Amino acid sequence: MKAVLLTGVSFVLTSIVVGNAYYQKKQFYPSVVYITKSNPSMAMLYIQAFVGVILMGKLMRKIFFGQLRAAEMEHLIERSWYAVTETCLAFTVFRDDFSPRFVALFTLLLFLKCFHWLAEDRVDYMERSPVISVKFHIRVLSLLGLLGMLDLYFINDAYYSTLTKGASVQLVFGFEYAVLLTVVWMTLMKYILHSIDLQNENPWENKAVYLLYTELIIGFIKVVLYIVFMAIMIKVHTFPLFAIRPMYLSLRGFKKALHDVIMSRRAIQNMNTLYPDATAEELQAGDNVCIICREDMLATCKKLPCNHIFHTSCLRSWFQRQQTCPTCRMDVLRMTRAEAAAPQQPPQQQQQPQPQQPQVPQMPQNLFQGFPGMPPMWPNMPQQPQAAPGTSGASSTTTSATAMPSSTAGTSTVGATSTQPTPTTTGTTTVPPIVPPMLPFMMPYGSYAMPRPPRNLAGVSAEELRAMEGQERENVEARLQWLQDIQALLDGAMVLINQYNTVATQTGIAGISAASFPLSQNKSDKKEEMKADSSQNSSQHTNTQGPGLQPTDKTDREDQKLDFSGLEGATGFSPAKEETIPAWEDPHEEEHNDEMHEVRKRRLQKFTQENPSGVKTEHKSQD
Amino acid sequence: MILFDLPTNTDVMAGSALKRLLAEYKQLTLNPPEGIIAGPVDEENFFEWEALIMGPEDTCFEGGVFPARLTFPSDYPLSPPKMKFTCDIFHPNIYSDGRVCISILHAPGDDPMGYETSAERWSPVQSVEKILLSVVSMLAEPNDESAANVDAAKTWRDDRKKFLEIAERTVRKSLGI
Repeated sequence: MKAVLLTGVSFVLTSIVVGNAYYQKKQFYPSVVYITKSNPSMAMLYIQAFVGVILMGKLMRKIFFGQLRAAEMEHLIERSWYAVTETCLAFTVFRDDFSPRFVALFTLLLFLKCFHWLAEDRVDYMERSPVISVKFHIRVLSLLGLLGMLDLYFINDAYYSTLTKGASVQLVFGFEYAVLLTVVWMTLMKYILHSIDLQNENPWENKAVYLLYTELIIGFIKVVLYIVFMAIMIKVHTFPLFAIRPMYLSLRGFKKALHDVIMSRRAIQNMNTLYPDATAEELQAGDNVCIICREDMLATCKKLPCNHIFHTSCLRSWFQRQQTCPTCRMDVLRMTRAEAAAPQQPPQQQQQPQPQQPQVPQMPQNLFQGFPGMPPMWPNMPQQPQAAPGTSGASSTTTSATAMPSSTAGTSTVGATSTQPTPTTTGTTTVPPIVPPMLPFMMPYGSYAMPRPPRNLAGVSAEELRAMEGQERENVEARLQWLQDIQALLDGAMVLINQYNTVATQTGIAGISAASFPLSQNKSDKKEEMKADSSQNSSQHTNTQGPGLQPTDKTDREDQKLDFSGLEGATGFSPAKEETIPAWEDPHEEEHNDEMHEVRKRRLQKFTQENPSGVKTEHKSQD
Repeated sequence: MILFDLPTNTDVMAGSALKRLLAEYKQLTLNPPEGIIAGPVDEENFFEWEALIMGPEDTCFEGGVFPARLTFPSDYPLSPPKMKFTCDIFHPNIYSDGRVCISILHAPGDDPMGYETSAERWSPVQSVEKILLSVVSMLAEPNDESAANVDAAKTWRDDRKKFLEIAERTVRKSLGI
């Protein structure tokens, strides 16, 4: 109402001014001269021009936008204030060129800026609006076209004016319109992406990616524009104070876009390569609703290392914001970074559990205490506090690692557990006590031909295996315990053999030959381990000169014979085992080690290239 | 009538944010939590919600009904909504203009107060219902450690009697008495 009144008053006053001039001079030309000479009349005309601009703006708004929403209005007012202050600052820089024309150009710039902002807001609104009419499309497209053309025209104008008349205010306008042109581009891209999205029935997965990249590119162009502008301005005039705020904003925007792109790329790459697709059973087991979009999970879903399942598309868009699990906030990137770093560590470092800690961020400190402290991320882990963490610990970790049904657990446990200690005694392969998480669940299939891999792995995804094997602390402890047990057995055997040898020399029989037969060696090791499994406290055997060993000795006499050299080797380096495992790395093993390393590395590469389902099939074929 | 027609109508065109808001709205209408009513202001715009929160029992806000407005971003649920009480309410964790300051409404990236761990920030797992329930518990137990309204925090800490008086006044005012 007030605005209407003011507009009316302004029109009345203008007509009075014009009427008065015409009344006094009677003719057109003299009255124009009269008006331009008279300051009050000119002031009135300027006000009228201002009112005219506002009216024009309203008309254009009616044409292109219809009714503005409250949020749009709020935005507009907020941004206009900034723009007005910046314009005033710009006036101070160009006070020498100050003229009505100059003011008019700035007003026009402000005016066009407003429309750019409104167009931006309107296109953003597309995403939320349930129904988009044809009218909306026509309006947005024609507005963007018009704005783009105007920007181009003014840039062109500024360019030629700078060329012909030298650097002036036109420089500022040129850059301002160039920046506005990038805004038009951005808006247009957004509009196109939203439109494509709207055409599809389902939300378009890749839209966010395209948006991110568009933002990055436009942000980059803007930053370059501002820097060039700043440089030229400092050279030609003074420091352009008025451009500081938009420049800072665009720099920050660009930095954020860059960061987002890099982080999300990493997270999404991880998602595509490392995390398995959720199987139908896993989906059935949960409530089957993706917590991000609250819809049923029927399409492709991914399972994070923390066992939470989401739509692939939902995860992707979330990873563009944050690289954490939405449910438990486990840092997805930090996990995989630690995993990637682990294989490169030398064995000496791998012994220390500390560097491995970051892999499992929620892991409590008291892992030495065994299972009660186990994080909740491994639901199928048996939560049994064990008094003797040695052998029982080893068997429980391996059973859960392979997650076998209890019927087959008994037999295959031995097979699985024996895979780990054997290499140390045979000396053909050296397994670092803490194996990088990628390796352990591959080993039973690849590295050793001898032990039979556990058969029933269909129910366990590779990811689960890996997550459970990620508990290095336990594994190492268990393995060390195993090794100690074996060592005790071997010591016992050595004593026996020494006795045998002394008896043999006394009776004139030839001593035990030192030929090594790795295969049979393995066999006996396995047996010994089985024994160790049955008799938990094997250290007693050494004291009592191994009455428990006696049956083995009797039945497998030949084996024992053949074993001698291997045993000697084992006992030879056994003292080191207890504290410093790197002592395993004697020169003989190095070669094998390298070979195995090569094989392992190749396998790893292959593994990372393939998607998890491929890995699964590989396992099956290995079975 | 339009309410439950809308999902089918707009399924084709709606973005994921709209879909999720519709799902949440349905959920909230089918099993509303106690003391909370929430829904879009009008069916045209599902990104503006109005909520009515009852003052929790056995607190100084008992009996009051406090209207609030929730504004959802277009990338909801990836970004949190904003919540603002549209009535006068004197509370340590509510700005004097009605904006609610609780950690689950803050995106993990920005930390206006600089003390919240990211564990209690916004994530897509949160929902309107959870936000409103947190607000109810915030009403019951003001957190004067991180005050949005310093006056209110100070009154709450130093002059509990006065705080209760003011609360009683707001309750009465909210009921229009």
